[in-house]
Amino acid sequence: MQYFLSLCVTGLVMGVIYALMALGLTLIFSILKVVNFAHGEFYMLGGYTSYFLLSAFTGLHPILAVLLSGLIVGVIGLIFELVFLRPIHKGKIERPSEYAVLVTVGLSFFLIYLSLALAGPVPHRPASFLTGTVSLGTVNVSAERLIAGVFSLVLLGLLLLVINKTWVGKALRAVSQDKDAASIVGINPLAMNSIAFAVGAGLAAIAGALLAPIFSVTPDIGAAPSIRSYIIIVLGGMGSIQGSILGAVLIGLVESLGTGYFPDPSRALNYKMVFGLIIFAFVLLFRPRGFFGRKET
Amino acid sequence: MLEIQDLHVGYYRDLNILQGVSLHARKGQITAVLGPNGVGKSTLLKTVFGFIKPQRGVISFAGQDIAGTPSHNLVQLGISYIPQRQSVFPQMTVEENLELGAWSFRSDKARIQERIEANYKRFPVLRDRRRSPAGELSGGTQRMVEIGRILMADPKLILVDEPTAGLAIRLEKEIYDLLVQLKEEGVTLLLVDQNIRQAINIADYVYVLELGRNRLDGPRNQFEDFKKALWL
Repeated sequence: MQYFLSLCVTGLVMGVIYALMALGLTLIFSILKVVNFAHGEFYMLGGYTSYFLLSAFTGLHPILAVLLSGLIVGVIGLIFELVFLRPIHKGKIERPSEYAVLVTVGLSFFLIYLSLALAGPVPHRPASFLTGTVSLGTVNVSAERLIAGVFSLVLLGLLLLVINKTWVGKALRAVSQDKDAASIVGINPLAMNSIAFAVGAGLAAIAGALLAPIFSVTPDIGAAPSIRSYIIIVLGGMGSIQGSILGAVLIGLVESLGTGYFPDPSRALNYKMVFGLIIFAFVLLFRPRGFFGRKET
Repeated sequence: MLEIQDLHVGYYRDLNILQGVSLHARKGQITAVLGPNGVGKSTLLKTVFGFIKPQRGVISFAGQDIAGTPSHNLVQLGISYIPQRQSVFPQMTVEENLELGAWSFRSDKARIQERIEANYKRFPVLRDRRRSPAGELSGGTQRMVEIGRILMADPKLILVDEPTAGLAIRLEKEIYDLLVQLKEEGVTLLLVDQNIRQAINIADYVYVLELGRNRLDGPRNQFEDFKKALWL
């Protein structure tokens, strides 16, 4: 029982961190109608940024480094959006959907090889937020993961508040539901595109920075979390915010429990993503739109 | 109020939909633009509202050249647009839809409240459905949400594209009466329509387009015979 509970706690913690990253992808997809194939690389950049910030400024609090890497990668995302994605929405690209795939895949390769050139193939590991374990009732959790989880939870709460209660949030939802109608009420959809892309990239980077002390960073670390994010947003229903959070928590739990109860512990971690995929296949079999997917109109 | 001169617009290279349209929407009047399908009536409104950039030509509003100005800036100038297709925010409630109409003055809470109340007075059905997602309403009620939403910002000029397309016949009169009422309140309207009889009935001035060019124009009474000839 205790083993089961500790797997659940780990799963939930991973779930809320996955949710940050998936929410970023959802935000970008629902506003820009572009699938960001460089999302995993923003995650990777977040890890590196936090690592280099902490080694350049000793004494910087690790949590502050996480926030700063979100901000820095957010600005990188913003610049990319302005230069490469804005022409799509100004109608200057003849085949916009193909262009969007090529340009984000291109960014992904560029960032992988850039970080390989700058940081090399060896893993880097930023300092932990905290060492040791914390006891929650009968369950022991590593303090580091717990803090990462709580931090993500707070950030998720703040994001939901912004999206549901503020004017910017309303404008973002308006653009995601009907871009032309948003223009009619006087919202500038191009500005919302930039905000969504910058925030989305920043969220992936924060997830990367939070997990970097646990898993270390290498240039190719973005692949698995980005695939996982695609699975999560399809599971939750493309474009749905609640859906991506629910999907992320579910995948976190399933991965944790699946790995924990796998008969051969020495190979369990290699199958980590498989457990999520099994659930994914089952959900799509019975509910092809995902949990909260909108019907195509 | 709105002056269009020699407007050329095309979606694809040199294949132009509009090939030199000129018209004038006079202040406080309803100006109707008629013509068969595919003549470029909707394109005309989309161009005025900044959704499409014109190849050449002049569009001026209250003396200011607005050709190619982005839509959100036009809203600030007092220009509004009701597209032909439904354009509510389907997952937001009626009240949220109306609130977003106040985007250009979003910090003025008192004015937002006052405008929403004014809308509920004009469209009582919207007050009853204020908490319903707009996408679940009937076509006619959605149209009211759209009109109410643009009235939030007190527009000076409204571009209307086939206001009754796809709506039940019994709603037609209601919508056209509303347009006349808006005119009486001092709003200028530029109406594009397939419903020739109704459009001529409420218009002060009528333009007819053919193949992307002006065909004829004149005040309403000149078109009364035309209406009879068409057995309208």
